[in-house]
Amino acid sequence: MSPVSVKPVPSTWCPGCGDFGVLAAVKKALVEVGVPTHEAVLVGGIGCSGGIHNFLEINGIHALHGRLLAQAVGVKLANPKLTVVAAGGDGDGYAIGMGHFIHAFKKNASILYIVMMNETYGLTKGQAAPTAPIGYEGNVEPPFDAILTALSLPAHNFIARTFSGDPKTMTAVLVEALRFNRANQGYAFVEDLSPCVTYNDTFKDWRERVLDVSKLPGYDPTDRKVMFQLCLDTMEKGKIPIGVMHRPAPKTTEGADSLELKLLPDRIGPAVTGIELADNLAAYDKLIKSVT
Amino acid sequence: MTTPATQSTTHVGGSLPAGSRAPKELTDLAVLIGGQGGDGTLTVSDLLARYFRKRGLYVYSSRNVLSRIRGGHADSSIRASREPIAAMKARVDLLVAFDNEAVQIGQPELEPDALILFDSSVFQSDLPNALGFPFATLVGSQLGQPIYKNTAAYGAISALMGFDPETTRHVIEERFKRRSPEALEKNLKALEIGRKAAMELPQGRDRWHVADGDAHNQILTIGNQAVALGFVVAGGRFFAGYPITPATEIMEYLMRYLPPFHGVVRQAEDELAAINMIIGASYAGARVMTSTSGPGLSLMTEGIGHAGTAELPVVVADCQRVGPSTGEPTRHEQSDLAHLAHLGHGEFPRFIIAPGTLEDCFYLTIDAVNLADKWRLPVILLLDQALCQNSSTSPPLDLSRARIDHGKRLTEAELAALTTYKYYQFTEDGISPQVPPGTVGAFAQVTGNEHDENGHVSVNPVNRVKMMKKRMEKMVHARDDLPLPQYYGEASAKIGFIGYGSTWGPIREAQERLALAGVQTRFLQARTLFPVQTHTLDPFLQGVDVAYVVEHNYNGQFAQLIRESLPQHHAKLRSVLKYDGLSFRAPDLVARVQEGP
Repeated sequence: MSPVSVKPVPSTWCPGCGDFGVLAAVKKALVEVGVPTHEAVLVGGIGCSGGIHNFLEINGIHALHGRLLAQAVGVKLANPKLTVVAAGGDGDGYAIGMGHFIHAFKKNASILYIVMMNETYGLTKGQAAPTAPIGYEGNVEPPFDAILTALSLPAHNFIARTFSGDPKTMTAVLVEALRFNRANQGYAFVEDLSPCVTYNDTFKDWRERVLDVSKLPGYDPTDRKVMFQLCLDTMEKGKIPIGVMHRPAPKTTEGADSLELKLLPDRIGPAVTGIELADNLAAYDKLIKSVT
Repeated sequence: MTTPATQSTTHVGGSLPAGSRAPKELTDLAVLIGGQGGDGTLTVSDLLARYFRKRGLYVYSSRNVLSRIRGGHADSSIRASREPIAAMKARVDLLVAFDNEAVQIGQPELEPDALILFDSSVFQSDLPNALGFPFATLVGSQLGQPIYKNTAAYGAISALMGFDPETTRHVIEERFKRRSPEALEKNLKALEIGRKAAMELPQGRDRWHVADGDAHNQILTIGNQAVALGFVVAGGRFFAGYPITPATEIMEYLMRYLPPFHGVVRQAEDELAAINMIIGASYAGARVMTSTSGPGLSLMTEGIGHAGTAELPVVVADCQRVGPSTGEPTRHEQSDLAHLAHLGHGEFPRFIIAPGTLEDCFYLTIDAVNLADKWRLPVILLLDQALCQNSSTSPPLDLSRARIDHGKRLTEAELAALTTYKYYQFTEDGISPQVPPGTVGAFAQVTGNEHDENGHVSVNPVNRVKMMKKRMEKMVHARDDLPLPQYYGEASAKIGFIGYGSTWGPIREAQERLALAGVQTRFLQARTLFPVQTHTLDPFLQGVDVAYVVEHNYNGQFAQLIRESLPQHHAKLRSVLKYDGLSFRAPDLVARVQEGP
C-alpha cells in the first residue's frame, strides 16, 4: 500500500490559455511513452506557465525565475533514472534565463525543455518579452528567435517548434522528444507557440502563419545548415516555421554522448545510493592516504 | 644568456663573517622565496616543505600571488618548527630572491642576522649577508633551459642549511617522478648544480643546522583539500561550482576524487547555475555542495534563499577573500559574516559553520553535510583564504570519527505504513520525514513560493505563520546539534580571545607566548557562528574581564553579532581587526594584549 500523496490543484490559467494545450500534451506524451508517474519530474519556472506541475499528480519543482534549466540538469545528473521535463515561459527562458538556455544545449543532459512562448509577460500584465515584435508595448528591439539560436549550436540535440492550436502534432513531437531523452540521447528543446489570450491573443494570427517545415521540399532535420536556411526563408515570407527542426543523425562521433552518459558511464543510477560509510571506508582510507 | 665557464660562478656581496664558525642551530625557521610569477617560487617552497616534513618538522606555508598567470611579484613563505604551528613567523631567517623586487619587498621582514640568497645572473646586491649565485645562467648553460633555476636554489639552500643529502635528493625524486623521466633527470642535475655552487663557497656551506623534529605522523594539506575530502566521506556525490579564487581547488580536487565513487562534479556557466544545479540534485536526494568566494556568493544568494524556503539541503563553502566587488582576489579577509548572517531577502534559516584548523575543515564539512540533510536547509561552511590555501602539517584525518546522519529520511517500510505523505508535513522540530522523489507513493512538489504541506502555492495567512515557524524554529531546535566551540588556554584566565577560522593559528601561538611571559589567557574558538551560540559565549564572557575578538574585517562583524545577542557583555568586547589583506601573526596579538584593555 502506498500513502496518499499530493493531488492536483485547479489551474490558475485564464480560460483559453495556450498553456492548457501544453499541459494536456505533456500528460498524454508521458502516458504514451510509458513513463511511470513517480519517475517523472516536472520543473516549472516563474510566470503563469511555471505552476504547470501543480495541476498534475506528479513530482514537481517550482524553480526560481530563469533557473529552471539549472535545477532540471541537477535533478537529471543526480538521478538519471528520472524523466525530467522543464517547462517555462519565454521571459523565463530567453531573458533572465538566457545564460542557462544557451548552456543547456552545450551540456546536453537528456532532459526535455518546453518553452511556452507568448511574446509577453502575462503574469505582470503584458510587458514585452524578448520575443515580442517591434511595436508591442513600445518594444523597439527585434525579437529573439530561439529556433535559429538552437540550430546554431552544434550539439547532439533534438529541436522542434509546435503550436498549441495543434495539440495532436504537439503530442507527437513531445513523444519523440521524450523517447530521445529516455534513450539517453541528449537534450530536447521544444518551443511551443502558446498564446496569452489576455495580453497578446495571437491564436488567429499564428494559426494563419504557422508553416510545417517538414512539408517543404528539401526538408532534412539532420542537416542544421539546410534547416537554418529553410527557417529563414519561411520567416522572410511572413510565416512561422514549426515542426521538428533538428533530429540528429545516429551518433557516429565519439564525445557525442549525453552528459549523464559521459559522467556516469558505468552507472546511470542515482547519486543518492551507495554513500554509506561502511561500504566505502577502505576506498576513503586509500584516497586520503594517497593525496595527503 | 649563457655564462662563460671561466667566469666566477659565485658572487658574494657585502661582508660575510668567516665560514669557520659553528653552524647556527635552528628549531623554528622561516624562509621567504620571492620573484616574478613563473619563476617557480612555489616549487621551492614545496620542495622545502617536503624536506622538512621528512625530517619530522611541523610545516606551515603561505603564498602571495597576484591575480595573473605569469609575471608580477609572487612570493611564498614557509615556516618549519619543532613545535606545532598554524601561522607565519613575524620575521624571516632566509630570503631567496629571484629578482631585486623580492629583496625590496622581503627586506623589512628579515631577522637582523637573516641570509639573502639571490640570483646574481639577474641582479646584484651589496647588502650584508647576501649570497649571490647565478642560478639562471648556471642552469641555462648546463641544462639548456633556465627554468630549473628554482631546483638549483633548493640545492643551494640544502648546502647552506646542512640538509641531509639523501633526503634532499629523495624530495626531488618524489616531486618529479610523475613527470617525464627527462624532467626528473634535469631537476636532479639542477639540484647538484645549486648544491655544488654553495658548497664551493666557504660561506655557503653548513651555515645553519636545522634540527630534526618528531612530527612523523603528520599529513600535509590545505583547507580546500580537507574540505573536498570531508565532502566525499560525508557521502557528498554532487558538486557544481564556478572557478573563483580562493575556492577553485575544492572543485578541482573533487573532479579527481568523486568520479570513482560515481559522484558528479560540474563546472557551471556561472554561480547562478552552480547553486541551482545543486538545488536540483538535492531535490533528487543527493548530498550536494558548491564552493565560492564573495562575488560568487552574491550571485548565489538568490538560490540559497530558495533552498531555505523550499527546504532543500545545500552546503555552500564560502572561501572568503578581500571584498567587496572583485576586491583583492588572492588576499585574505573575513568580511562575509555580516552578509551571511542576514543573507538574502525575506527570512529563512541557515547555519554558519566555521572550521579553524585543517582537521576542522575535514570533520566540520562532514558535519555541515549531515546538518543540511537532517535539518533540510542551507549550511554555509565559512572559510577564509589563509585556511583554504595555506598548506600545513596536520594530524591525520581519522575516518573513525566520521558519521552519516540522514535525519528523518524514511525507509520503504516506514513510507508504506503512512496513510498520507506530505513533503512539507508540520512536525515538532520542523523536519518533515521524507524519501527522495522517484519512490512510488511519495510525490514531492517543492516551490520557493509560500506553500502548504503538499507543496502547493498558498497565501493563507494561518498557513504562512505555521510555515514560517516550521522553518525558522529549526535554528532553535538544532541548538544541541551544532558544532561546539573548542576552548584553549587557562580556564580561569581573565583575559579572553574569541576568534574563528584561520585566526586559530596566531591566537594559539600568541597564547603560548603570553603564557611564557606570565600572562594567562583563554580562547573560545567559535565553530558555529550562526545562530549565535549564546549558550557557549555567555558563560565564557561571564568568566573574563576582557575578550579580544580577533577577525579580519573593518567593522568587527563577529563582535557585532555577539553584541546583538549578548548586549550585557558589550563593555568586555574589544575588537582586534586587520583588513590589509594579510593574516595576523602571533606578535600582533601579543602586543595588543600587552597594551591592555
